[in-house]
Amino acid sequence: MAWAMLSGSTHDDVQPGRDRERPTERAGDEPELSKEGFSEEAIPWLDAVYRFALRLTEGDRDAAEDVAQETFLRAHRSWHQYRRGTNVKSWLFTICRNQYLHEAQRARSRRERPAADLDARVEALSAASAFERASPRPDREVFEGLIDDEVIAAIDALPQEFREVLALSDLGDLEYAEIGSVLGIPLGTVKSRLFRARRLLQDRLREYAVRSGYISGDER
Amino acid sequence: MSMMEAMGMIRCEDALAHLWEFLDGALGPEEEGAVKKHLEICDRCYPQYDFQRAYFEYTRRIRNRDETPPRLRRRLFETLLREGANGDGE
Repeated sequence: MAWAMLSGSTHDDVQPGRDRERPTERAGDEPELSKEGFSEEAIPWLDAVYRFALRLTEGDRDAAEDVAQETFLRAHRSWHQYRRGTNVKSWLFTICRNQYLHEAQRARSRRERPAADLDARVEALSAASAFERASPRPDREVFEGLIDDEVIAAIDALPQEFREVLALSDLGDLEYAEIGSVLGIPLGTVKSRLFRARRLLQDRLREYAVRSGYISGDER
Repeated sequence: MSMMEAMGMIRCEDALAHLWEFLDGALGPEEEGAVKKHLEICDRCYPQYDFQRAYFEYTRRIRNRDETPPRLRRRLFETLLREGANGDGE
């Protein structure tokens, strides 16, 4: 019998939700900027925006620095349009993504595929995931032997549609509605794209763990 | 009727279908309670929950590994202060 207990709990550590990210505290030696509230509300998200830019640029640090810098310059110039007390993090991430897309389009306009093709490609990639075909035994040991750089490389190797939703949620810690706002997609699409991105990443990490000998191949 | 249903619980497929949302804290109180109750007693679904929880523990650990490079911070503040002094961008 899969569930042995007819009364009481067998797993008393089940909890919903997860810890949410907080903005970085301001360094004491940072100068006060002239636009009211910008130093207090926007600047604390600089680390988070830089990290998001890093994932968007597939780990290219120079490009990420440029994207992050331009994000804050644009935010500073448009600060009068921002309503104090609303979601500054989503606002900054939206500017960041737009800036990245602007730069990326300029750099690879010839290789750009039409947006209408997006969902079909996402579907095809998901369907190709071995994780969905097989039903691997879930084992937290997969994560114990992983090297961080390899995981980051696996995230950076994901197609952009998956990489950005994963960076916003699991690394950037945005909620579904905030992600929808940044990407300009409905809530249902956020969920399906995010869940497929996680499956695809976990599939690749599991394959990596087997290949590296952290877990045996019969885990799947 | 499955044993879970007989016990007034949601079925395994329903619990697993909502597992990500449960972990993301995105379910309403009623659904959240139903999934939690199911996971607490289901030996089949709990390993799935535990695996996904390990995934979140891992991503939380690597989330903050990159800090803004000092040169970017310096460059950004210099530009922002200059723009502020010139009254640009309004």
